[in-house]
Amino acid sequence: MTKIATTLERSDSTSNSLGPVKKPKRVGRWILFAVMMVVAVIMLYPFWVMIVTSLKSEAQFLAGSGFSWLSWSRLTSVIPIGQEVLSSTIVCSASIFVIVLVGLPAGFAFSKLRFRMSTVIFLLIVSAMMVPLQAILMTEFVNITRLHLTGGYLGAILVYASLGTPFSVFLFTTYFRGVPDELVEAGIVDGLGYFGALWRLVVPIAVPAIATVTVLQFIQIWDDLLVGLFFIQNTSQRPITVGLAVLAAGRTTSIPELMAGSIISALPAMVVYLGFQRYLVKGLTMGIDR
Amino acid sequence: MADITFEGVTKIFADNIRAVDDLSLHVADGEFMVLVGPSGCGKTTALRMLAGLEDITSGSLSIGGTVVNNVLPKDRDVAMVFQNYALYPHMTVAQNMGFALKIRGYSKSEIAKKVSEAAAILHLSEYLERRPRALSGGQRQRVAMGRAIVRSPQAFLMDEPLSNLDAQLRVEMRLEIARIQRLLGVATVYVTHDQIEAMTMGDRVAVMRGGKLQQCDTPQDLYDHPHNEFVAGFMGSPPMNLLRARLDATNGPSIEFGTQRVAIPTSYSSSHTLPSGDGPGVIFGIRPEDVQVVEAGDHAGTLTTKVERREALGAEILVHLSLVNAAGTSTLVVDDDGAVVTRPTTMVAKMGPRSGVAVGDHLRVRFNPDRFHFFDAAGGDSLRKS
Ligand SMILES: Nc1ncnc2c1ncn2[C@@H]1O[C@H](COP(=O)(O)OP(=O)(O)OP(=O)(O)O)[C@@H](O)[C@H]1O
Ligand SMILES: [Mg+2]
Repeated sequence: MTKIATTLERSDSTSNSLGPVKKPKRVGRWILFAVMMVVAVIMLYPFWVMIVTSLKSEAQFLAGSGFSWLSWSRLTSVIPIGQEVLSSTIVCSASIFVIVLVGLPAGFAFSKLRFRMSTVIFLLIVSAMMVPLQAILMTEFVNITRLHLTGGYLGAILVYASLGTPFSVFLFTTYFRGVPDELVEAGIVDGLGYFGALWRLVVPIAVPAIATVTVLQFIQIWDDLLVGLFFIQNTSQRPITVGLAVLAAGRTTSIPELMAGSIISALPAMVVYLGFQRYLVKGLTMGIDR
Repeated sequence: MADITFEGVTKIFADNIRAVDDLSLHVADGEFMVLVGPSGCGKTTALRMLAGLEDITSGSLSIGGTVVNNVLPKDRDVAMVFQNYALYPHMTVAQNMGFALKIRGYSKSEIAKKVSEAAAILHLSEYLERRPRALSGGQRQRVAMGRAIVRSPQAFLMDEPLSNLDAQLRVEMRLEIARIQRLLGVATVYVTHDQIEAMTMGDRVAVMRGGKLQQCDTPQDLYDHPHNEFVAGFMGSPPMNLLRARLDATNGPSIEFGTQRVAIPTSYSSSHTLPSGDGPGVIFGIRPEDVQVVEAGDHAGTLTTKVERREALGAEILVHLSLVNAAGTSTLVVDDDGAVVTRPTTMVAKMGPRSGVAVGDHLRVRFNPDRFHFFDAAGGDSLRKS
């Protein structure tokens, strides 16, 4: 978004100096602006409904008017929301940590080292991206059960990590292919080993790629219900999505309370996205400024 | 500081591509060795093997008397300057230059001292805190050089370090690199495909073609006595004229171009092994500056030519001449891939900038009798006795 805005400004300033071209550019910009406003309204409307609904009591919600903090104040007594957010955070960060820890050196190896069968292995790993979670859920469940890991966080972390790693290997490989080989070679001639080159030369310029993997995986894992539901069976370690699902499935579901919980659940993903989006644009375009 | 020895070094890539074939070359300590040759002839591969970035298929490579075939790049203590400079984008100029020292565990103050010394030599002192992206091409080039010289390595390896600079800057940096190399006295292997860089910078120049070393000599020797038609046709701009002709002995030894002929001074029969017998073929070589236009008068020993093309370069004019009545002769030219190919008979002469020649004119030319070259018609090797 920031990128688009700056480009627009830049093209506008050049047209200013040209004079006659000014008008059509202006009009085009207003049309674009109008379209983006419409899109923004469509996207933001559900949030608005969520916020408004959460600010009512059950009765006010049914009546359609009024305002109260009741559902917010009751939220912590209805579900252990703090604990659930913490669980989600732990599972999410640990999974992303593994995904980056594996993907980064693998991407480095696939893009910068020459070894036997590298293309075949790369394609095998990347083809795993096409397997949807639902297709392997049952077999994974059997595996994790045999490992006796279906109670706490570890099983879920393993499943998320294995689902996210192919994507991160793919992304890092593509990103590092855009990094000139000479950069690594210069480091090696300067006295680094491969791990030194990875850590001291490649990682510092891989920040956009790391951010991209982190954001995309965070949103995916944070919002996921299925894995948490299946693999984290200790109720005290439930992630927020499972907590909300339980709330929604309750006999007397309070819609305002559900909305309040949903807002809390949606916030971190938004914060992470907004915080990293500067890098995200860069990472997805795979460009490296030289 | 050390010397470098290639002994029968060969590199075979996948699919049996022989990038470097049985290369034997000695670079003395402190010597500036230029590797030159057409694109794809294996210059970069030779350099990368020396740096340790490429395995050696066979042969032995030593630095300072130690065989380094199986020595890791970081233990070879050589510094390399890459064509695209390969500066570390996230580090400042000072950090770039000091990085190798930091890896080797030098203290902060030592690094700062060496970096500022090198920066002074390279006129980089005011840019030390900048990032590479905020530097001009010439400044980046200097940083790349600086990264090499702070290390005081056993050898400098440079792969076309000036090819990304514009012409004027290239002239400047050419002198600068030569000056610094002489100042530091470190053995240097410098890869280029620029004739002028090769001639002006090198103590010696090694000409390669198709992975094989053709000749390694001082620039002047290389120019004056090329060992074969490839070196003759590659070095010099424009390179030597190579004419396929016949020798004739009826009225004293002479070269026959169709119906025209040029006498061979007698000294050549002792300095060269010229073929004998009935009209043997030979490759006759003459540099453009040795093709002299005879304005008027004495026509003895001259050839009649026709101007096909003229290129005015300002300081001189290059005229492309075709020999009149020269059936049976042809010209050899080294093309961009380093192959020697046959072309219709033309040759290039250098003329003064004020000479008013026009396309279609007939000119009488004489070859400088002291500067004849003869190459074997079959193998292309020089017929000069060594
Ligand atoms: N990694 C590689 N795998 C396979 N073949 C290679 C590899 N690197 C180089 N070659 C081949 O080896 C030969 C020599 O290449 P090299 O890069 O050494 O040439 P060069 O003399 O440096 O050419 P240029 O002047 O274009 O830089 C070429 O035919 C090239 O295609
Ligand atoms: Mg090269």
